[in-house]
Amino acid sequence: MSATAGTVYRIFAGLKKDPLGMAGFVLVSLIVFLAVFAAWLAPYDPLEVDVYNRLASPSFAHWLGTDQLGRDILSRVLYGGQVALRVSLLAISISMAVGLVLGMLAGFGPRWLDRVLVVAFDTVRSFPTIMFALAVVALTGPSLNTVIGVIIVTSIPVYARVVRTQTLALRERDFILAERAMGASTFRILRHHVLPNIIAPLFILASMDVPAVVGMEAGLSFLGLGVSPPTPSWGSILNDGYSYLRNSPWPIIAGGLPLIAVTLGFTFFGESLRDIFDPRLRRKDQ
Amino acid sequence: MSQPVLKIRDLSVSYQTEAGPLQALRDVTFAVPAGKIIGIVGESGCGKSTLISTIIRLIAPNARIGKGSILFKGDDLLRMTSAEMRALRGDEISMVFQDPMTSLNPVRPIGRQMADVQHRDALSRREKNARSESMLGRVGIPDPAAQLTRYPHQLSGGMRQRVAIAMALMAEPSLLIADEPTTALDATLEVQIIHRLQELQRDFGCSILFISHHLGVIAELCDEVVVMYAGEVVESGPMRDVFLEPRHPYTRKLLECDPARIAEPTRDLPVIEGSLPNLVQLPDGCIFRERCPKTIERCGLQRPRLAGDGHQASCHLLDTAE
Amino acid sequence: MNTLLAIRDLHVRYPLKTGLSALAGNRPSFVDVVHGVSLDINRGETVAIVGESGSGKTTLAMAVCGLAPVFRGEVRFDGRQLERERNNRLNPDRKRVALMFQDPVGSLSPRMTVRKILAEPFRIHRTGSSSPEQEARRLLSLVGLSEDFGDRYPHQLSGGQARRVGVARALALEPDLLIADEPTAGLDVSIQGEVLNLMSRLQQQMGLGIMIITHNLNVVRHIADRMAIMYLGRFVEQGDAQKIFSRPRHPYTEALLSANPSTDPDAGSGRIELSGEVPSLLRRPAGCEFNTRCPRAGDRCRVSFPGLAGDFGDQAYHCHFPLD
Repeated sequence: MSATAGTVYRIFAGLKKDPLGMAGFVLVSLIVFLAVFAAWLAPYDPLEVDVYNRLASPSFAHWLGTDQLGRDILSRVLYGGQVALRVSLLAISISMAVGLVLGMLAGFGPRWLDRVLVVAFDTVRSFPTIMFALAVVALTGPSLNTVIGVIIVTSIPVYARVVRTQTLALRERDFILAERAMGASTFRILRHHVLPNIIAPLFILASMDVPAVVGMEAGLSFLGLGVSPPTPSWGSILNDGYSYLRNSPWPIIAGGLPLIAVTLGFTFFGESLRDIFDPRLRRKDQ
Repeated sequence: MSQPVLKIRDLSVSYQTEAGPLQALRDVTFAVPAGKIIGIVGESGCGKSTLISTIIRLIAPNARIGKGSILFKGDDLLRMTSAEMRALRGDEISMVFQDPMTSLNPVRPIGRQMADVQHRDALSRREKNARSESMLGRVGIPDPAAQLTRYPHQLSGGMRQRVAIAMALMAEPSLLIADEPTTALDATLEVQIIHRLQELQRDFGCSILFISHHLGVIAELCDEVVVMYAGEVVESGPMRDVFLEPRHPYTRKLLECDPARIAEPTRDLPVIEGSLPNLVQLPDGCIFRERCPKTIERCGLQRPRLAGDGHQASCHLLDTAE
Repeated sequence: MNTLLAIRDLHVRYPLKTGLSALAGNRPSFVDVVHGVSLDINRGETVAIVGESGSGKTTLAMAVCGLAPVFRGEVRFDGRQLERERNNRLNPDRKRVALMFQDPVGSLSPRMTVRKILAEPFRIHRTGSSSPEQEARRLLSLVGLSEDFGDRYPHQLSGGQARRVGVARALALEPDLLIADEPTAGLDVSIQGEVLNLMSRLQQQMGLGIMIITHNLNVVRHIADRMAIMYLGRFVEQGDAQKIFSRPRHPYTEALLSANPSTDPDAGSGRIELSGEVPSLLRRPAGCEFNTRCPRAGDRCRVSFPGLAGDFGDQAYHCHFPLD
């Protein structure tokens, strides 16, 4: 498809002019690469316990040192990246897809449906996410799937609201009216005329949402509400290191740095994407 | 005769684009005499909007003013600081836009907005309102006192445009720039507004620079006409001379295309063949050559200059005819 | 006579915002934008609807296309009642009526190429003798655009080019009736001629009925066979265009015709200027709606609405004191 090729070209042409966005893009690519190939890149099994070598400082054998059970921190960070990205990919794609459908229904459907959905969105958003997560975990016990489920449920309204607003704005535009005048079905209008016009901002929103989701996973895991030990997660690495902060700062640094990298990388990249696709919002510099 | 209010000489403006500089205005020269209504006619893409934004010095960031001068009462606007320029705008030079809905603040009552434009005057709120009221009356708004408390969306299109005109005249400017102010209105309202503008111009003695692509409106309202094509002034002069005896082939074509001038109803309306030239890669010679019905060899070689006394046109054919 | 479209006593009513403001004031809860309109359009004929903005011209067009709520009256197409639009149900008559929008660029889907836009009607109705892409190519040449325009996006077109694409799309399914809403608004005079010539040529080729909505009377004079003058949702006068131009009977028609600015500096006398503002649709004047601005209004006009006088097929008007 030439349109896709054109979009890719446009993104790279835009990134070229925006060093910060380019840095973000490189950072994002690096993080994804490291996480995807963690199994090959990790020097040790992240679960392998070495009791004689606990809380070791960085060395040639263990680049980032070891934790309180003597596990290699670098390997745990790499595998933890896998967890973080799996959670964000799954959670964001599902909540985006559901939010897209609900948002378009609310924006294009009958008025009563819009009202019902808006009330539903507001109800879900009115719970603080952590409180909601605590409640769910209390019922189901901590697990990775619970984390993903909680994030999906709380993110759907965010996407759905954006989609709804955009759909409402498009709905009265002449080209949509023209389609209706030709007798196009609602599905066809949404699929071919509304969707292409709202998808770009949605992807930008999603890319800026990755740090939030990764942080959420880390936070829940830190509190012991997320992935169950011994599975590595950036949150659990931080939690493990927290107790031994006086003896060794390395676990905290090793668990914190990737969080910062993800936040900066996706934010810069997302902002750059937004500037490329919506010049009206561009930062004020010529 | 007194000196003109506005005198534009050899003004050239270009836009930086990825393909190279787009030469939006080239050697634009004309004057707005005191107390006259000057109409600028031209089709979309002729440089009207660039011209206005250059005069009020609110140009796009990628625009470059190449050369030329814009003398307002003898002072070059292009050499003024932005503070000096701000002092002029809304005081000595006022503007009326095509769509009053976009130039009026939707969440502020008319009376407040009219008081806002009097911020330079040390008057009490009551005095300002009284002035606003009388100004609304002068532009023909019924029951002006009641309108002061209303919001723009509560007024009809014609009323809104009159409010915009009243606001523009509030400071009693020397020059009123009106950018297609009647395009969004219907024929009956258009005529009302035009006549009101004429009356107000006589009362206030200001000059009006009126931009429109509607030939009929220009003919109705203006004392003098400037015809622009693809960034150049191709003809200028007293309205009657230009409309009754057009000299430039473009002006002639434009007038021929006006369905109002064709007495016998026809389903085969005249058109100007071809399209606007590329302003990034300007053709050699005359800018209108590719669409001109009668070109001579010189048209492809040399750019014609505006020539003539009073009624000017830039066409090589005029030289050869004499 | 081959009547294509027959509109009888059409009312279009929009509900107004309900809520606390409606309870507080004595505002009506609805507004009649089209208020009892009757009109016939024949095959191969051009009928112009003229009037100020806000007079209900566009709403009338929308109602014919089933995109506005019809409160009363009927729209018959080829003798059959046109149903209102229902989701996911294609009305076979729908493709016989085509609509051209006022905003040429805005009515084209911004993320689609011209080729895709022109293929849309065929995909929607799953018709066409060849593939939608081939049909799109055929349409481009029909409206005189070269094939490489197919790859452009709407924002890459000039006003005149976008207008041509609009004409092409409207005529894609070979409709019997074309409704054109201000087809020349915002166009320069030279391009205006091109678009109108194109419409006339295609009308002759295809035997189209055309309903053209405009406030440009110069255009109407050249292309309309019949015309209707709309004021506050009603036709105050309608009939043969030449007759109305040479001898208007309704005072509003006369004022409208005389208000047409001319490029002839020596013309422009005998103009009738209307006083006052167009009344709001929310406060429809009693009696004849035009009485608040009419130079000829008498007591009767403020009380009773004048019935139809004259001959509906020839020249008809609603006025107690018609002009000679």
